Amino acid sequence: MKIKTIPKYTVYLLLVLAASIPLFFDIKMPNKPVDSSAATFKSLMTLEKGDTVLLGTDWTGSTRGESKAELIAILRILMRKEVKFAMWSSADAQSPRCAQDVITEVNAMMKKEGSREYKQWEDWVQAGFYPNSDVAINNVGQDVKKMFSPKRGTDSTGKLRSVMESPVLEKIQKIEDFKLVIDVTASKTSDFHVQFISSHKVPMIFAVTGVMVPETDVYYNSGQIAGFLGGLKGVYDVEVMMDKGLNVPDKDGKIEVASTKVTDQIAGFPGKDNTGSGSKYYPTLHFALALMIVLVVIGNVEMAMARKGAKNS
Amino acid sequence: MNLELYYALSKAAGVVVTVGLFSVLYKENKFYRFCEHLFLGLAAGWAAVGVWTESLHTIWYDRMMGTVDEAGKAQSGGHWIYAALLPVGFMSYMVFSKKHNWMARVPLGIVLGVWSGQQIQAYFDTYGPQVRAGMKPIIGTSGFLVPGADSGINPQVIAANVYWSQAISNFLFMFTLVSVLSYFLFSFEVKNKIILKVNIMGRYLLMIGFGAIFGTTVMMRFTLVIDRMYFIWNEFFYKTLFHGK
Amino acid sequence: MKVNEINFWTKVPFSKDLWMMVILTILVGALIVFGLSKAPSQARRPIIWILTFLSGAFFVLYQYWPKAINFDKNTQLPNGGIEKVADFLNDSNSIVGTIAQVLAAFMLGLGIFSILKIHGTRIAKRQRDWAFSVVLIVSLLLMVFLGYGDFHIREATKTIDFDNPEKWGAINMGRDFLFEGLLQQMDAAMFSIIAFFILSAAYRAFRARSVEATILLGTALLVIFSLMGGIAYLWDTKFIDEHFAKPGVTHDLIQNLKLAEISKWIRGTFQTPAITGIKFGIGLGTLSMAVRIWLGLEKGGK
Repeated sequence: MKIKTIPKYTVYLLLVLAASIPLFFDIKMPNKPVDSSAATFKSLMTLEKGDTVLLGTDWTGSTRGESKAELIAILRILMRKEVKFAMWSSADAQSPRCAQDVITEVNAMMKKEGSREYKQWEDWVQAGFYPNSDVAINNVGQDVKKMFSPKRGTDSTGKLRSVMESPVLEKIQKIEDFKLVIDVTASKTSDFHVQFISSHKVPMIFAVTGVMVPETDVYYNSGQIAGFLGGLKGVYDVEVMMDKGLNVPDKDGKIEVASTKVTDQIAGFPGKDNTGSGSKYYPTLHFALALMIVLVVIGNVEMAMARKGAKNS
Repeated sequence: MNLELYYALSKAAGVVVTVGLFSVLYKENKFYRFCEHLFLGLAAGWAAVGVWTESLHTIWYDRMMGTVDEAGKAQSGGHWIYAALLPVGFMSYMVFSKKHNWMARVPLGIVLGVWSGQQIQAYFDTYGPQVRAGMKPIIGTSGFLVPGADSGINPQVIAANVYWSQAISNFLFMFTLVSVLSYFLFSFEVKNKIILKVNIMGRYLLMIGFGAIFGTTVMMRFTLVIDRMYFIWNEFFYKTLFHGK
Repeated sequence: MKVNEINFWTKVPFSKDLWMMVILTILVGALIVFGLSKAPSQARRPIIWILTFLSGAFFVLYQYWPKAINFDKNTQLPNGGIEKVADFLNDSNSIVGTIAQVLAAFMLGLGIFSILKIHGTRIAKRQRDWAFSVVLIVSLLLMVFLGYGDFHIREATKTIDFDNPEKWGAINMGRDFLFEGLLQQMDAAMFSIIAFFILSAAYRAFRARSVEATILLGTALLVIFSLMGGIAYLWDTKFIDEHFAKPGVTHDLIQNLKLAEISKWIRGTFQTPAITGIKFGIGLGTLSMAVRIWLGLEKGGK
C-alpha cells in the first residue's frame, strides 16, 4: 500500500507559519532555568562595580538569532552592574564589527532606561581581532599584557594610547587578574578557551549556540567552566532570572524561579526592561518544535501503516 | 541622508535579500543566484577589509613601523624584522603556481608546527580534568535517594555520603564512557565476545549522545528561522513600515 | 618612547632608517624566496620539515622547560643557564604566536585571491552565468572601497565617535548598509535555510526502524520536550506536583519523574560520557596527527 506523504513545500510553509504567527501575540511561557544557566547568572551577578572581565565575541550574522541575544543579555548585566570589559575576537574578521554594533544597540537601551552611557576607553575597550584562534587564545592565557599592548584606542582627551593603559586594563598583568572570562561563541573558540585558559584558575563562562550545548555540557559537568548559556533556552533563562531573580520569594513567599543547583538568593533587575530576543522568540520556538514532533509522529505512523500494508498484501 | 530613511532602506534591502535567499526553497532561480553572489562578494570583501583593519594593521604593521601619537610623537619603536614575514607570507600564494606550489607549504608548515606544538598541552588540559571528574564512586554508602534540604539532615553529611541512586548513575556514566571509547578504539574487526557486546552497547549509548545533539541542533536552526521571521514581520513591516512600537 | 629603546633591532617610527631596514629585509627575504624556488626537489621536504619542527619545538620546550620562580625581569638578571633559557622562552612566546597569527592572516587573502581568479576568468571568457560573477566582483570591490573608506575616516578623526550613527557621513553609512543591511542579514538567512531541510528530512527519515534509530528518536524527543518550558511546566507542575507530589517534600521518587530531572539525568549520565568518549577519541587522533606533523612523519606531497 502506498502512503501519501506530505509534500515538501507544505512542510516548508508550515514552518514559516509556525515561526511567524506566534510572533504577533504576546505569549508568556513558564520556564525553569537549567543548572548551567543558573550558574552563569550567578557568575555574572556576583561581579562588583569596577571589576574587569575579558569578553570574547566570536560570532557573526550567521548565528545572530542566538549569539546576538546572548551578548545583549550579558552586556545588560555588565553595564547595569558597572563592570568594565575588554572585548576581543579570534574567530572571524566580522566578529568585532558585529559586537561593536551590539554595544551601540545596548547603549541605546541603557539610555532609554535612564542608565548612564557606557564609554569606550573608560568603561570598555576593543582589544582587537587576532586570527589563528588557538594560538591567539594560548597567547592571551600566557601573557595577556603583551598580546593586547599593540592595540591602541582613543582616550577621553582624544589621544591614541595602548588599550593596556586604559582604565579598563591598567591593573591587568595576567589572565588571572580578570574577575571572569566570557566567550560568546559560535565556533571552536570555546574548546580553545578550555585548552589554554582553564588551567589558569580564572572563572570562565560561555554563551554558545544550541548545537554546541552537548559538548559544552561536558566542560560544565567536569568543572572546567563555571557555567554557560546554551542557545535560545539559555537566553530565555537569563532574561527570566534578570526579571524575577533566582530563588527570590515573592510577597506570598512563593519562589517563582528556583534552582536546585544554585541555592543562593540572587535578585535580578526588577522593574527594568529585561525582555530581549529570548522572551520574543522562545514562545514561538515551542510552536516550531511542536510542528517538528507532530511531523515525526506522522512520519512514523506512515511507516507503520506502510509496513502493515506490505504484510497484508 | 536622514537616518530614519536610511534605516528603512537598509531594512527593506535586508528583507529583499532574505526573501531572495529563501527562494531557493522553491527551486534554484536567478534571483537566488544574484543574492548568493552578492553575499559571497560582500563576505569576501569584508574579509579583505577586516584582515587589515581589525588585525594585520595592529599585530603586524604597527609592530613593524612603530606608532606615533596624533601630534606625530613616537610612542613605540618600529621592529623592522617583522618585514621578513611579508616574503614568507607571500610564499603561501605560490600555491597557484604549477612549478613552485610546494613553497606554499613553508608558511603552512610554520603555522601547523605551532599548532602541533600546542597539542600536548591542549590535550591534557582538556581531558585531564574530564577524566578526573568522571572518576566517581560506584558503590553506595547510604540509602537509595539523595535526601533534600528539607529532610533535616546536615547538608555536609548528605554531600559526604554516596547514595545508591548516585552510585548507579556513576556506574552508568563510567560504563557509557568505556563502551563508547571501546567502540571507537576497537573499530577494527574484533573477535572477543565481551568486547563485541561492549561495542554494541557503545553504539546504542552513542545514539543517546547523538539524539541530544539532534534536539539542540533543531532548537538552534529553528531559532535562526524565527529570527528571520521576526526581522521581516516585526522589524521591517511592523516597526519600520507601520511605525509600530 | 625612550631614547635608549632605539637600537639595531628597534628604530624610530617611520624614520628613514626604519624604512631602509624594512625594504632591505623584504629584499633579502625575496632573495631567499628566489633561492628556495631553485631548491632541488629532494631538499624541499627537509626544508619544510625543519621549519615545522622548529616552530612546534618552541611550544613543546616552553611547556617542559622549568619556569623561573619569583623572577622579576625589571629588577633582576636571570640566574644561571636554565633561568636564562626560561626567560628567553617566556619573552619569545608571544613573538612566535604573533608570527603564526600574521602568517595565518596573510593566508586569509588566499580565498579572496582564488575567488577573484575564478570569477575574473569567468567574466573574461564570457562563460555561462558570467553576469553573476560581475555581481560578485562589484560587491566585493564596493565593500573593500567603503570598508577601507570607513576605516580611514575613523582613524583620521579620532575625536568623533563613529559608533554613534548620528555622526555618520555617506561613506560610513554605505559601509553600514553593506555590512549590517545586507551581509549580516544574508548570513543569517543563509544559515537558517538548513532548518527547512532538517524539518523535511526529519519527517521523511527520522523513523524508529531499528534499535539505534529508536534510541536516537526517543532521546531527541525527550531533549526537545525538555527545551520547551511550556511542556515541562504542564508535566512537572500541573501533572506531577498537583496530582502526585506530597506537599512539602522535594526529594522523593516521584520528583525524579519530572521532565527537567529526567532530562538532567540523561544529560549527566549518558550524554556527557558519550560526548566525552567521542571527543576523547577525536583528541587522541588529533594528538597523534599533531605529533606526526611535528616529527615529519606525515606522508604525501613532493
